Amino acid sequence: MLEVSGLAAGYQGSDVVQDVAFHIDPGEAVMIIGSNGAGKTTLFRAVVGLLAPSAGDVRFEGEDIAGMPAQRIVRRGISFVPAERHLFPRMTVQENLSLGAYPKRPDPETMAVVMDLFPRLDERRKQTAGTMSGGEQQMLAVGRALMSNPSLIVLDEPTTGLAPRLAAEAYEALGVLRDRGLTVLVAEQQVPLAMAFSDRGYVLENGRIKTEGTSAELAQDPEVRRAYLGVA
Amino acid sequence: MTASILDGIVLGLQFGLLATGLTLVYGLGGVLNLAYGQMAVVSAMVVFFAMNAGVPALPAVLLGLVTGGLFGLLLDLTILRRVYRLQGEARVLLSLLLTLGVAFIVDGFLNWRYPLQALNLFIGGGPVEILGVPMRRGSLVASAITLVTFGMLFAFFRFTTLGRGVRSVIEDEEGARLVGIDPSRMMRLILVLSGVLAALVAITRSMVVPIDVQAGFGITVFALIVAVVGGLGSVPGALLAGIILGIVSSIAATYVGTFMSFVILLAGAGLTILIRPSGLLGVKE
Repeated sequence: MLEVSGLAAGYQGSDVVQDVAFHIDPGEAVMIIGSNGAGKTTLFRAVVGLLAPSAGDVRFEGEDIAGMPAQRIVRRGISFVPAERHLFPRMTVQENLSLGAYPKRPDPETMAVVMDLFPRLDERRKQTAGTMSGGEQQMLAVGRALMSNPSLIVLDEPTTGLAPRLAAEAYEALGVLRDRGLTVLVAEQQVPLAMAFSDRGYVLENGRIKTEGTSAELAQDPEVRRAYLGVA
Repeated sequence: MTASILDGIVLGLQFGLLATGLTLVYGLGGVLNLAYGQMAVVSAMVVFFAMNAGVPALPAVLLGLVTGGLFGLLLDLTILRRVYRLQGEARVLLSLLLTLGVAFIVDGFLNWRYPLQALNLFIGGGPVEILGVPMRRGSLVASAITLVTFGMLFAFFRFTTLGRGVRSVIEDEEGARLVGIDPSRMMRLILVLSGVLAALVAITRSMVVPIDVQAGFGITVFALIVAVVGGLGSVPGALLAGIILGIVSSIAATYVGTFMSFVILLAGAGLTILIRPSGLLGVKE
């Protein structure tokens, strides 16, 4: 479904990520783990079109989308939920969700699915996004991303700023989406949560893919255990 | 006193609409358009020449509005292309310099070729009494047009998908891109809208006072003051600040004279910025 190869991207001419290759098959949940500054955000921004890659290929459902702007990539079926969420703070929950379906009018069925997944959003339809708690904003960001009926959802550290219980809830919601057949790509520092959720994973270190494997294999990898799971 | 307040509201509604065109462009794209007043004047001159050539008033006015929109489109397609490539303060600064250049060129040309022309759409008939105050028909028609326009703007921004799309870019440009909105297309749309609003204000204003070719910079300055006091980027702020400043200006003009009213207006604007740097309804940074 998504195939990335030889990807390099960065800012002001210096590449933060280099020669990155990974792929996702339909229906898979894939994680990219790495410490702070490993390049996860840069990699995702390059994949979803917020940053033009300096080299490499990004193919989505057979089409080359490298360098295509984000507003066009989302219409091809990739929704991105950034760590900073980028909601519309002075607009209501309802308006934020409606805009997720832009340029179409929001589909009532999709809206119902989102409200069912996050009942808190249903209770707060009329509240402005900027006045909500971090957990609610994260739900809204995921909800907005779902409104375009994507085939792939990409989440950058969805647990940023969330208390442990809320972080676990966020992954429960992602689990529901995965079970319904949505393909999920997630970058995470809270590795145990992501590992329990995903089928496969890649370890990103200093802008390069260092290891890859199924989540079970990675959980047994001594280096992964030491660096990301806190096991000596 | 009632008369000054009513006059102030008439003036204030127009201030508000005028500032809306400027404030939207700033809120959306971080561009301060100093050629804004010239958009208004050029449109007014098109109406003037069309009517002199025998075109009836209404089609002439429509032609004027189209001219304003085309002026905006032209700015977007030409010099602003370069401006959009920059970010933040560099973008504001380059937009100031380039649009100021456009303003000088347009002003120079108009002063050279048509120094004496002025658009004047006085509406005949006797005054109409409102709250015991005789009001000129032109003032009432101008206010009605302005109010209807505001109503349409609010409906557009609140209820239409496109209007919400524009607001989303003001709220968070990256968020807008992530839901599939192209900010540069929204910016083009708003520049056209801003040109139409500038033209509309010049045309309705000419129902009360003549708009001459020298009016450009004055219009820009008023629009800037009102937009800044209201909070750059906020349409409700522009309306509120427009009405307040319109009333202040009208009362001051009645009791202390026109020149002092301008001084008082500037002092009031300065004071607002000192107390609330983000303007009345602006977003705090």
